[in-house]
Amino acid sequence: MRGGFLWRNRVLLTAGMLLVLSLHLVTTGVHPGDLAARPQSMFLEILRPIDAALARVSESARSIVNGYLELVHVREENVRLRTELARVTSDQARLAELEAENQHLSELLELRDVLGLHAVAANVIGSDATGLSHTLILSAGSSNGLRPGMAVLSNQGVVGKIIAISPHASRVLLIDDHNSALDGFDQRSRARGIVAGVVDEGLILKYVDRSQDLRSGDAIVTSGLDGIFPRGLLVGTIKTVHREGPGLFLSIGITPGVDFRSLEQVLVVTQQPPQLDDKIKG
Amino acid sequence: MRLILLFAFFAVIGLALETAIPHLISFRPLLPNLIVILAVDLGFRHHSTTAALLAFAIGYATDAFAGSHPGLNAFMITLIFLVCFEISSRLMVTNAFVGATVVFFGVILTALGAIAISAGVEAVGRSGSIMPSLTLQAGLSAIIAPMVFAILARCKRAIGLPVSPARE
Repeated sequence: MRGGFLWRNRVLLTAGMLLVLSLHLVTTGVHPGDLAARPQSMFLEILRPIDAALARVSESARSIVNGYLELVHVREENVRLRTELARVTSDQARLAELEAENQHLSELLELRDVLGLHAVAANVIGSDATGLSHTLILSAGSSNGLRPGMAVLSNQGVVGKIIAISPHASRVLLIDDHNSALDGFDQRSRARGIVAGVVDEGLILKYVDRSQDLRSGDAIVTSGLDGIFPRGLLVGTIKTVHREGPGLFLSIGITPGVDFRSLEQVLVVTQQPPQLDDKIKG
Repeated sequence: MRLILLFAFFAVIGLALETAIPHLISFRPLLPNLIVILAVDLGFRHHSTTAALLAFAIGYATDAFAGSHPGLNAFMITLIFLVCFEISSRLMVTNAFVGATVVFFGVILTALGAIAISAGVEAVGRSGSIMPSLTLQAGLSAIIAPMVFAILARCKRAIGLPVSPARE
């Protein structure tokens, strides 16, 4: 009925119901394979070609800028030489880009061989849409054998884990996100703790007893006990250790080993790392 | 249907820019929050259940590319729609200045709300270091908001949609 309470307040009521639905999704979580996960996978798939195209455009733009910067130094030279130099410089920039990419992939291959686990290389094609969380979009998805929960690494150390997937794209929750945590230990003192992200930048090591001898500059590596990341991978180095203040545990700041902003290629471990049970059985 | 297509188009552009550009430019605050601007326009100028569903859908699409809690952005964007709907129902004038002001506070509140829901209210207290960059992003979003509203209005006129608030 058009004059009724429900009709008059239909926008308010619809928005209210949608708010309740959103809160329900936040509190219960959306698991891979759920009906609610399908639109997410679809959105990821729709935007993947656009992100990949934008990533390619940016690489070309970078090459052009590099070429231009090189040209500034040879302005006095004649037109023929400048044209020739531009061509050479452009080729050089393209080759340098290819060489850098080749270098990254070689390092990732080396890492995969060292780990002795099955892994897939993927390109980084996007970042978090809001910037409040620390996530990345990769160019590989379920068709490449990727699954949610898989570990993502780079030659510099641990990057994060896959949280969402579509056939040809996936999203990685970086280890410095405030919702991320992994089991790690200090390589020198062997003190164990939980490495967690914070809202702004960097990492913290939680639940380390005050009696432990941790020092600035110590390397923090993965313990492998979380069942996601293989043991012994670099997470970062200790930046600060605060012993002052109340509480049972030390307050430890960590500088991540990986520069997340400059990541171009990553390695996704498609094989689960050996578990404690397997070792005992073996 | 025309409204859905128009906002779907702008949402795809907004999300493509917001996911691709931070990968190229390391200074994230220089990128305005286009999704909040779209939600404000929906709340101010489209008083219908379709617009409410559209705001939710845009937020849920954002969840596919942001954060680790699906539903979080859907909640915040629907909330912004609802606040704008209420404001425009009560105010006599909802011009570009009012829109820009709401966008400014919308960007800040969306960010703080998302942090509070995903990491707990105490995390908001610890997030003081992100406030300068957040304020810069909110300011830039507010500056470009009138331009985006004008582009949206022009597109709406072109496809025969009402530009001023219209009830279903």
